[in-house]
Amino acid sequence: MNSAVFTIVLLLLSLAWYLSFSATRLDRCHHRVETSWEHLDALLQRRAALALEIARLSDIDPATQMILTSSAYQSRGANIGDREDAETSLSESLKFLHRSALSNEISIEVSFIDELAALTDKIRTAIAIHLEAISAVKNLRNKLVFRLFHLAGRAKWPEKYHFEDDEL
Amino acid sequence: MNKKLKIGMVCPYGWDTPGGVQIHMKELAEYFQSEGHTVSLLAPVADEESLQEDWVVPAGRPVSIPFNGAVARILFGPIATSRVRQWITAGEFDLLHLHEPAIPSLSLLACVAADGPMVATFHASAPKQKAIFAIGPILEPVLEKLNARIAVSEMARETLKVHFETEAVVIPNGINTAKYAGGKRNLDWYRPNTLGFLGRFDESRKGLSVLLNALPEIARSVPDVQLLIAGPGDQEEVLKDVDASIRSRIRFLGRLTEEEKADFFQSIDLYIAPNTRGESFGIILAEAMAGGSAVIASNIQAFSDLLKAGEYGALFENESSSDLAKKILIYLKDSQKREELLNRGLEYSKVFDWKSVAAQILDVYEVAIAGGNGVTLASENRGWRRLKNE
Repeated sequence: MNSAVFTIVLLLLSLAWYLSFSATRLDRCHHRVETSWEHLDALLQRRAALALEIARLSDIDPATQMILTSSAYQSRGANIGDREDAETSLSESLKFLHRSALSNEISIEVSFIDELAALTDKIRTAIAIHLEAISAVKNLRNKLVFRLFHLAGRAKWPEKYHFEDDEL
Repeated sequence: MNKKLKIGMVCPYGWDTPGGVQIHMKELAEYFQSEGHTVSLLAPVADEESLQEDWVVPAGRPVSIPFNGAVARILFGPIATSRVRQWITAGEFDLLHLHEPAIPSLSLLACVAADGPMVATFHASAPKQKAIFAIGPILEPVLEKLNARIAVSEMARETLKVHFETEAVVIPNGINTAKYAGGKRNLDWYRPNTLGFLGRFDESRKGLSVLLNALPEIARSVPDVQLLIAGPGDQEEVLKDVDASIRSRIRFLGRLTEEEKADFFQSIDLYIAPNTRGESFGIILAEAMAGGSAVIASNIQAFSDLLKAGEYGALFENESSSDLAKKILIYLKDSQKREELLNRGLEYSKVFDWKSVAAQILDVYEVAIAGGNGVTLASENRGWRRLKNE
């Protein structure tokens, strides 16, 4: 009798420990999704700001200027759902700008081009890491223990940001 | 990144045994220090007396253990664990950079012991093992703590994906391109139609025999062909099956210093890498390209990935001496084609320079650091800790 009670108590304790351990794991992953998104967001904002600066300071034709300015404003204003479209169109405009600059059709200061290239590298890395964090959360939350004991609490299902792996 | 960082690196293998991971870490740490960051590197050290770098913290003597089909000199256990914990507490790091944490090693211990920004680099590539079903559940919650994962090649990334279902950013291994650009042609070594091979040549996976078997056919069209073999190994063993007429065309240079290596690449027309297996990156090809050699390599996956499927170096059918002879003859006879290949490779080798590689690694650090305030000792279970503290 005593040993049965002891076993049950032990089982309950280890279950409690395991649940707490799992919740910690999930919490850490959620945290990572948030921080990696914040970082990515900041980089994207910087890119939009850079695009505006290029549009304003460079000697480029009004049409390119318009495309650049409007897509930069769009990506600054967009909420996370529309963000993807806005950023893709900004990427496209910047790619176009970069190509024109390379073929000397328009002249942009070299420092702008360098800054843009460095920023694009950073963004590419940040996207990869963010997507990885999201898939880690999804993997965990799909597991039985996590669903059964509702370990995610009220945390939102992470929104996946589809951003093409673009080359600049 | 403008802020100067305090970086803690953990090396899984014995620091004083030669190896690719150790060289990579040493050069990376030195590069970061030259940029003004602070690096402390924790590693197993066999002989603490002769340790040269004052930024390396010895964690104890490594033990030799068979792991994954090779003998690894690694370190773990309770004493190592407490060394790791001390090092983390004393270091007050902004970030930990662990190398190869998926093997039983100091890196794994550090990953368990620490909380905060952590990045890991995965070097190895291996086919899926059966044991992974047993190891996976143990490692998964540990590796999950990493803020970001770096794989040194597509193959390493693939390995990580298959084993742990997790993604990684691919950042190649680095080299000091300036060191190789400074090589001078050694006229004692060079004459027209010289081929070069570098490496521990009596190891069968380095594939020297494939090259030796190709020599007779090459010598028929190009009688004055010369083969320079650099690196340690048993010459008699290698030469015993080689025809006497070919033997006169082979010269052994022995082990080269780093400066001699740069000269070596300048003193050959073609660098040949006939490795048959067992490469996960192929840093030697990057060095050869940076040193100004045109490269011909076997089409094993690591080489094919590194040379972008033949764009920056010619590929031949792995283990096929006749295909190798054919490719070598094409490039020996057509000096313009060779020159083009060399120049493409030289330009491309810049992506392996530490300047570019370390910048990419810093980008990853930046993402990792965004999530925390420095590295602290972990308590595995927050709920538990709260209970205990009450």
